[in-house]
Amino acid sequence: MLRAADQCFVCHSALGDEASRLFSRDIHHLKGVPCAGCHGGDASSADMDRAMSTNAGFRGVPKGDDISARCAACHADSAAMARLGSGLPTNQFALLQSSVHGKSSTKGSERIVQCTTCHGAHGIVAPRERTSPVNPLNVVKTCTKCHGDPAYVRAYNPSLPVDQLGKYRTSVHGKRNAAGDVNVAECASCHGSHGILASTDVKSSVYPTNIPATCGRCHSDAAYMKEYRIPTDQYAKYSRSVHGIALLQRNDLGAPACNNCHGNHGATPPGVESISKVCGTCHALNADLFAVSPHKKVFDERRLPECETCHGNHEIVAATEKLLGVSPEAVCSRCHNAQESPAAYGVAMHMRRLTDSLDAAEARAKELVEDAEQKGMEIGEAKYKLRDVRQSRLQARTMVHSLNEDQFGRTVGKGIATATWVAGEAQQAIDEFFFRRRGLGIATLIMTLLASSLYLFIRRLERAQQRGRTASSNSPIS
Amino acid sequence: MSGIWQKTYQWIDERVQLGNLVEFMGKKYVPLHRGSIWYYFGGVSLFLFIIQVVTGILLLLYYKGGEELAFESIQFVMSRVAFGWLIRSIHSWAANLFILAAFIHMFSVFFEKAYRPPREITWVTGMMMFFLALGFGFSGYLLPWNELAFFATKVGTDIAGVIPLIGKPIMVFLRGGEEVTGATLTRFFGFHVAVLPGIFTVFLAVHLLLVQRQGMSVPLGHEEVHGPSEKAMPFFPNFLLRDLLLWLLVLNLLAILAVFFPWELGKKADAFAPAPAGIRPEWYFLFMFQTLKYFPGKIWFLDGELLGIGLFGVVALLWVMVPFWDRKSALGKRNRLLNYIGIAGVFYIIVFTILGWLL
Repeated sequence: MLRAADQCFVCHSALGDEASRLFSRDIHHLKGVPCAGCHGGDASSADMDRAMSTNAGFRGVPKGDDISARCAACHADSAAMARLGSGLPTNQFALLQSSVHGKSSTKGSERIVQCTTCHGAHGIVAPRERTSPVNPLNVVKTCTKCHGDPAYVRAYNPSLPVDQLGKYRTSVHGKRNAAGDVNVAECASCHGSHGILASTDVKSSVYPTNIPATCGRCHSDAAYMKEYRIPTDQYAKYSRSVHGIALLQRNDLGAPACNNCHGNHGATPPGVESISKVCGTCHALNADLFAVSPHKKVFDERRLPECETCHGNHEIVAATEKLLGVSPEAVCSRCHNAQESPAAYGVAMHMRRLTDSLDAAEARAKELVEDAEQKGMEIGEAKYKLRDVRQSRLQARTMVHSLNEDQFGRTVGKGIATATWVAGEAQQAIDEFFFRRRGLGIATLIMTLLASSLYLFIRRLERAQQRGRTASSNSPIS
Repeated sequence: MSGIWQKTYQWIDERVQLGNLVEFMGKKYVPLHRGSIWYYFGGVSLFLFIIQVVTGILLLLYYKGGEELAFESIQFVMSRVAFGWLIRSIHSWAANLFILAAFIHMFSVFFEKAYRPPREITWVTGMMMFFLALGFGFSGYLLPWNELAFFATKVGTDIAGVIPLIGKPIMVFLRGGEEVTGATLTRFFGFHVAVLPGIFTVFLAVHLLLVQRQGMSVPLGHEEVHGPSEKAMPFFPNFLLRDLLLWLLVLNLLAILAVFFPWELGKKADAFAPAPAGIRPEWYFLFMFQTLKYFPGKIWFLDGELLGIGLFGVVALLWVMVPFWDRKSALGKRNRLLNYIGIAGVFYIIVFTILGWLL
């Protein structure tokens, strides 16, 4: 009925204009929504003046926010959508309004993004259609229309990069997308569509603490990832790692999420050569020391991933002394044994012994300081110096990456010397504590003796005075 | 007296007429009655004050004023100076016991009505010394420049700032500026070691002179004693020896406190750190601090805190002036109402101090 009455479409088609040509395959046209649905007017009248009269509600081409308002008139109305036989969600307009696009405006009067900005106007088709600008294979181009234009982006957010598409095309996702894989991540997969929030918004799916879950939506889904034949336990492993605990449990934004190692728009697994560079962006000193260590050459020759060989990748646990040495849990013994590489084996054993000595010295110093403190002794300076011991321990852990026995020994030696000094001070304070008690005992004894003597002296004196008074009162003269 | 002592005595006697003093002391008697024990608290207060002077001078040898040095110098005294810990702990403990002894001495004089004529000036000088002792406590508390002292001083001087017109200038004068800074520390150090001791010495001299000239007060209903009797004890040597005995016990108590409960130094003051939990003044200010907390923000059109401070001021003034308005006691009659007020005062101080400590 509607189609039969859509006189606008009849005339405009006859005129052969572009809008009606596109509209002929538009999903709205196919569902029976007439031109008047958006433009207003009387679609049933063949009389142009009547059909396009303002009395009939004709509004012409919607402008600015009125564009999205026209779409929302049906798309935010679940009854209208049901009448048209659509099962689409009806919250897109609300989401758009609360999104970063909905909150940014041009000239303060209209939002920078209207529905038509991404979906087009007269030739709208379902996103699954290959011709849709929001089809997974087209969406990157659609977003890039604005996000790849430096002049345009600068007007709204000068710090926002405009090279996302270029990077994306170098990523595994981008390459597969270009090859026609609709299942790999494109812009909307991570950022969302209608309700896109700025990455600095804690509710954003790409806010640092949300990134692992966002990536995990696909990468932890074994069925979804089946055809790619890659593991799906990265998120679980990362959550247990030192980085995951810091970011997800302690909300430490300094800890890396997936994108800090893999890149975000250019996401790709780091190659063997680049692992130490990736880790080195934060662990710079460790990377520098490793680069001049004897391990560097051997790792390069054997194409061993540098940091990952000892520390792992997604499930990196806090590095403790246990990693060092030749015990079963130590990583050195994975490559070195007493028979084949006795020198390296000896170095590993010695370094572990040194670090154990530092640990023991620190533990003893700490215990003595606590004991002295508990005894109420003033031990502030020694307690402060305990920080230096801890600092030496941390430095020693870093120095391990140099694999230089002498350098490592000097760092550990400094820590042990400080710990020994602290322990000595604390022990002295504890000895002083007992000296004070002994001193108090002696002083109390002396004072008690003095007090007792004084008491006896007063008694003797007063008795003598009493006797004197009695004698004088009994004397006949008195 | 053996030869050498006799010669020494004679040598001094020829120059300062010691004989007069000995003769005067020999004629001085201390009345004996059920409240005689309270006479000793004046002596104990004096002894603790002397300890404060001696330990204070010893601390001065190492103490360095100033924001960057004060805390470290006390830390040095406590950990590096031989017996520095003992001197500092005794100084801190004796300060508290001194104020406690002064409290007891003040209330015993009040309840025995020993402020009756002709001892009004003795009472007033005693009260002045009591206020100065509180000043000693307040100024000395800041000197180690630790966290608790810093914030307690901030709160304490803030209270002074509430007084209309003169409050703000007083607060700025005490702090040496708008905020508690190194300037406040320098100022408090000056008050503590120069200004307050100077004024205190004058009042102490007058107080002791009057006690010696007028003798001990006899409570109402007891007869004055002027010579040896069953109801009196010679001041010299009997009372003085008993005083010495008590002083020895107090000294031992101080040593025990210093060894078993050494005075803590805490954390160094940091003006940018948030105020730690449990900021409260020293125990002798607690009852006033707690009372002010119970005052509502506004009472009618008056500021609650200001009203509280004003009330304390009026009570303190009435307390100092009690010898001049308690005409009943002056006439030798019992003033039971005043006793009840005094008991209520003691009860109030104890209860509010405990509340201040617990809440």
